[in-house]
Amino acid sequence: MKLKILLIAVMCGAVMSASAQYNTLVIPDTLSGTTFNLNIKDTFKQFLPGNQTITGGINGNFWGPTLFFNQGDTVHMNVQSYLNDSTTLHWHGMHLPAVMDGGPHQIIPPGTLWQPYWKVTNQAATFWYHPHLHTMTEEQMSKGIGGFIIVRDAAEAALALPRTYGVDDIPLALTSRKFDASNAIDYTSSHYGDTPVVNGTLHPQVTLPKQYVRLRILNAEMERAYNLGFSDNRTFYIIGNDGGLLNAPVSATRIKLAVGERAEIMVNLGSDAIGSSFDLVAYNAGQEFGFGGGEPNTTGTFGSLLNNRNFNVLHIVVGATTTGAITAVPSALVSNTYLTAADATVSRTLLVTDGNPGPGNPPFNFDHTVYNFNTINKTVHLNDVEKWTVINSNVFGHTFHIHDIEFKILSRSSHPVGAYESGWKDTYYLQVNDTVTFVAKFDDYADPIHPFMYHCHFAPHEDGGMMQQFVVVDATGVDNTGKAAGGFSLYPNPAGSRLFVSLEDPAMQVYYVTITNAAGRTMCMLPRPQLAGGIDISAYAPGTYFLQLTDELTKKTTVKQFVKQ
Amino acid sequence: MARRNSAFYTLALFVALLLHSRTMAQVVVNDFSLRNVDGKMVSLSDHKDAKGYIVVFTCNHCPFAKLYPPRLNNLYKKFAKAGVPLIAISSTDTVVYEGDSYAEMVKKAKKEHFLFPYLYDNTQAVARQFAAQKTPHAFVLWKEGGKWVVKYCGAIDDNGAEPAEVKHRYVQDAVEQLLAGKPVTVPETRSIGCQINLRSK
Ligand SMILES: [Cu+2]
Repeated sequence: MKLKILLIAVMCGAVMSASAQYNTLVIPDTLSGTTFNLNIKDTFKQFLPGNQTITGGINGNFWGPTLFFNQGDTVHMNVQSYLNDSTTLHWHGMHLPAVMDGGPHQIIPPGTLWQPYWKVTNQAATFWYHPHLHTMTEEQMSKGIGGFIIVRDAAEAALALPRTYGVDDIPLALTSRKFDASNAIDYTSSHYGDTPVVNGTLHPQVTLPKQYVRLRILNAEMERAYNLGFSDNRTFYIIGNDGGLLNAPVSATRIKLAVGERAEIMVNLGSDAIGSSFDLVAYNAGQEFGFGGGEPNTTGTFGSLLNNRNFNVLHIVVGATTTGAITAVPSALVSNTYLTAADATVSRTLLVTDGNPGPGNPPFNFDHTVYNFNTINKTVHLNDVEKWTVINSNVFGHTFHIHDIEFKILSRSSHPVGAYESGWKDTYYLQVNDTVTFVAKFDDYADPIHPFMYHCHFAPHEDGGMMQQFVVVDATGVDNTGKAAGGFSLYPNPAGSRLFVSLEDPAMQVYYVTITNAAGRTMCMLPRPQLAGGIDISAYAPGTYFLQLTDELTKKTTVKQFVKQ
Repeated sequence: MARRNSAFYTLALFVALLLHSRTMAQVVVNDFSLRNVDGKMVSLSDHKDAKGYIVVFTCNHCPFAKLYPPRLNNLYKKFAKAGVPLIAISSTDTVVYEGDSYAEMVKKAKKEHFLFPYLYDNTQAVARQFAAQKTPHAFVLWKEGGKWVVKYCGAIDDNGAEPAEVKHRYVQDAVEQLLAGKPVTVPETRSIGCQINLRSK
């Protein structure tokens, strides 16, 4: 056993010296406009010399395209899964209807097209998308399925900030992976990787211009946290949190990002010599207990060669200044109107419970209640401002994430709320012996049957059941569930390339349409479809199909058969 | 410090035991009868003189499996006349994954000139029996005392996308060693490819 550890230490030294061979940082491709085609597939990537590594990709082979949204636009997503297993795709941080959110209930079976759409109301910030299939999140995220979303708005556009994507505005998805002897990604023997992977690049290097640059940093890990700084300890400026720009930049030399959190920072390269270099470093040695990846183990379920040590994340080489370079940090950014404790009319408390090591013990959960797909744990009234207090006097740290809304952190018991986390957040690091209170408004989207999630964003924790569900209900609404389902017919039948739905009451709203074939395979999932132009069935094989239509008013589902010629 | 649910432990233990038993004791597989892309049923007993078989679980859609048909044809050409034919089996759950349907298998075998049988394991019973994990996943069977003994299981070789960079031809080496009456030096490797998802019974 001792010899094995020694061998690993020697190998580890070899890895570290070999890391002088850098790979150019992958900058994810971009998609913009209002229609986004995302193809999720099984694929592979040449990560290491020798055999390729099986991965999951969206339009590529590890980590998908960056989606650019403009605030105010309605974005339409064509998510086509070619995986041979079910998945979901969650738009992390987006304010949208529950039925579009891509949580564990919007399961996309193999071969299915899912078409959510929503109006972008979020502020300019850095968001992301990733699978959220309960019990499968760690496996599917480990394979590299995910990507960035960058929202632009007028307030951000009016500021002198770096925003030339891939030049002075760089997205960085920080992860690590463990590879086995056959170069396969090993997500079962440990939840921590042994090698940093940034945007799908091992040992990455990027050349950045001699001026202020903006880094949009996402912790896309399974469980590891990052305590980030630069190798020369230079000061940088935090300009944005998960959900938007701060009121003013906050200077810092370190920033902690736990799983799921994002930060936008500006760093000045204007005083560096062209050709000089420095590193973005995870100063992860000696962190507080409960910091993901702070464990001393190098092997075992929570072991990693990167645990409890400082390691390089990104090698930065200084290149030539670009035209239109940003040469200063703005003194002020945007004026946010934050909610306060006084705005809240409802208070809730959540306790982190269980998760004690040992066989037979329940997994981590909230209030001794493990995730149940069919249980709504909380009901929130539309437009209410609520104050949530999450208490962790439990055995490890976590990150708390809630869907639907961005919140404002009011207090922390572990330390005063830092300026670095003073903006809009949707995810935060919940330390051991920490009590965190936040306030949020649950506006715009009510849906009595389709839940949003709140959960720990450590993938093994949420897969294990540290997740619960809430619905947002419109208490002023009338209960129509006793009414008869809305009538409709399909034409032409048999149909050619387009199938049309004729509603008996033209004012009827459609909540959901699903089409399945005679073998029971799901062809498409259409939340609140816009049916005026018909449904494109041109790619369907000839045969019998079933269309399930749920109407908005009664949430009742009616099935009709049609034939594709 | 965090924990997984106990179902995972049970699964891990089961897999560990399975692998352990595989390396410790002889694993014997039973004959099967599956429909080939030519419509005929195929069994291991069809070739009375077969010394062994190369059985490869593969499929249409998996991008990693797609890299191997030329190499499967080569293995077939090399060893069928020596009494070790190659049989490919697709065990994808075609209820959920249409691209691996029997009709699509027929098309693929024609288009890519498969020399070997390509069998449709529509109930996934053969994949279960072999404990096939991935596509492709190769098994070298040898006839001993009238039984089919697994002499090798795992990857076909050690480089999918770059055939010229292959350093270890695991299947080829195993068959050559068996034909020479020698023990197989590498009896097991990890198969790499897309997961064969077994539908719950
Ligand atoms: Cu957790």
